[in-house]
Amino acid sequence: MMEITCVINGAARKIAFEPNEKLLHVLRREGYFGVKDGCCEGHCGTCTVLVNGRPVKSCMMFAAQAKGKEIVTIEGIGTVQKPHPIQRAFAEEGAVQCGFCTPGMILSTKALLDKTPNPTEDDVRNALDGVLCRCTGYHRILNAVQTSAKYLKEAKK
Amino acid sequence: MTGVPLPEFDYMRPLTVDELSAILAKHKGEARLMAGGTDLIPLMRESVLRPKYVVDVKGVKELHGITTHDGGVTIGAAVTVNEIVESEIIRKKFTALWSAAKELSDQTLRSRATLAGNICNASPAADSCPSLLVLGAEVEVVGAHGKRKIPIAEFFKGVKRTALAQDEFVKAVHIPNQPAGAKSLYSKWKRSWGEDVALVGVAALVSGKKVRVAMSSVAPTPVLVPEIGNVFYGEGTLEEKIEKAAACVPGGICPINDVRCQAEYRTHMAAVLTKRVLRELLGVKK
Ligand SMILES: Cc1cc2nc3c(=O)[nH]c(=O)nc-3n(C[C@H](O)[C@H](O)[C@H](O)COP(=O)(O)OP(=O)(O)OC[C@H]3O[C@@H](n4cnc5c(N)ncnc54)[C@H](O)[C@@H]3O)c2cc1C
Ligand code: FES
Ligand code: FES
Repeated sequence: MMEITCVINGAARKIAFEPNEKLLHVLRREGYFGVKDGCCEGHCGTCTVLVNGRPVKSCMMFAAQAKGKEIVTIEGIGTVQKPHPIQRAFAEEGAVQCGFCTPGMILSTKALLDKTPNPTEDDVRNALDGVLCRCTGYHRILNAVQTSAKYLKEAKK
Repeated sequence: MTGVPLPEFDYMRPLTVDELSAILAKHKGEARLMAGGTDLIPLMRESVLRPKYVVDVKGVKELHGITTHDGGVTIGAAVTVNEIVESEIIRKKFTALWSAAKELSDQTLRSRATLAGNICNASPAADSCPSLLVLGAEVEVVGAHGKRKIPIAEFFKGVKRTALAQDEFVKAVHIPNQPAGAKSLYSKWKRSWGEDVALVGVAALVSGKKVRVAMSSVAPTPVLVPEIGNVFYGEGTLEEKIEKAAACVPGGICPINDVRCQAEYRTHMAAVLTKRVLRELLGVKK
C-alpha cells in the first residue's frame, strides 16, 4: 500500500492505493465517477483529467505519479444547478448524446481555452484529437467549443 | 478487460542520475524504466512485461529540459513530445523532428510521452526515429560502467530491441547542428485523420547535394535508405532524380502485412511519400 497527498478539485486529499493501480481506477474508487473507463489503453480519452492544468489520460498514469499534483475532474468544473460555461455550451449546442465522451471533451476544451481564448478550428481539432466520440459526428462538439469560447469571454467582461 | 489489475510491482522515483544508475545496477533485469508510460503501461497490461520495479525517471531533474549549445541541441530523457512541439529552435532548425513530434500519437498523450521512450521502445513504427536518423542524432547513455554515446543508426537492433545493456539507460538525445541551408521534414501516412500508428513514415534531409531519407514501419527497425543519397550526385533534372530516388525505395525496405495494411501498399506509399517530401524540400512543383 502507498499513500500520497494531492489536490483534487481544489481540496487537499490523502489517497491510498497499491503501486500497480492507475490514477483512473483510484479516482473512481474515491467516487469521481465522471472519470470514465473506456478502453483503458490510451486510445479513447474518456478517462481524461487535468493534471496541473494539462489534459492527461488517467489510464496512462499510475496513481503514484499524482503525488503533489493538482487534479481536476469533471466534478470540479460545475454542477447541474451551476454548470460551467463550457458545460452550458455543450448542452445548448447538442454536443452531448450518450455522454460517455463528454467529460474528456469538456476537460480538453477547458485546457485549450485557458491557454487559447480565441482558438482556430485547427487548434480545436488538435486539442480534442485525444478524445473519441461515437455519437455526435464531432461537428456539434466543434461548434460547442466556439460557443464556449464566446461564453467565457462574456463571463470575463 | 478494463478491470484487470496490472501485475504487481514496486514503484520507485529516484531524484538523481546517480540514484537511477544505482537502482539499475542493483536490480538489472527486474527493473524497468518508465518515462511517460504510454508504451510501458499497455505492455504491462498485456503481461508482456512484468517488472518487479517500475522506476519513474520523471523525478530526475538532470533529465529535464531542451538545451541548445554550439554543437546543436540536447533533449533530456524526461522531455515530453509536446515540449518538442513547443520548441521554436526545433521547429526552425530540426524541422523533421518537429514535424514527427506533431504527428506522434495525440495531443493528450504527447504531454506525457517522451522522445527517449519512443526510441527505447524500439517499435518499427516509432515516429521520431526516421527524423533522428536523417539528422544524425546521438544517444547519450549512462550505465554502471560509465557513459557512452551511440549513433542513432546503431541504436536499433530489431523489433523492440536496442543496443542498451541491462544496466544502461538513456540520459539524453543530441542532435548536431546541420549545415547552413539544410532543410528537413517528416511525413506520416495513417488510416485516419486522428491518432494512429504510421502505415509508413518518411523523413528526409536536404543540404546542397546531400540528401538523406529514412523510414518507419517498413522494416524491423526504422531504416535509412542510403541508395537514395547517391542519386543526387548523379546526372539529370531534380524531378528525374526524385523519380530515381523513389525507385530506390522498394530495394531498401522489407515491409510486412499486418492488421493495418498489406506490405505491397506500404512499399507503394513509401515511394509516394519519398517523392512528396523531396519535392517539398527541393521546391519542385508537380
Ligand atoms: C494510444 C496510443 C497511441 C500511440 N501513438 C503513437 C504514434 O502515433 N507514434 C508513435 O511513435 N508512438 C505511438 N505510441 C507509442 C508511445 O506513445 C510512444 O512510443 C512514446 O514516445 C513512448 O514514450 P513514453 O515516455 O511514454 O515511454 P515509456 O512507456 O515510459 O517507455 C517506453 C520503453 O522505453 C523504456 N525507457 C523509457 N525511458 C527510458 C530511458 N531513459 N532509458 C532507457 N529505457 C527507457 C521503458 O522501460 C519502456 O520499455 C502510442 C501509444 C498509445 C498508447
Ligand atoms: S480509458 Fe483512458 S484512453 Fe480510453
Ligand atoms: S456523445 Fe456518445 S460518445 Fe460522444
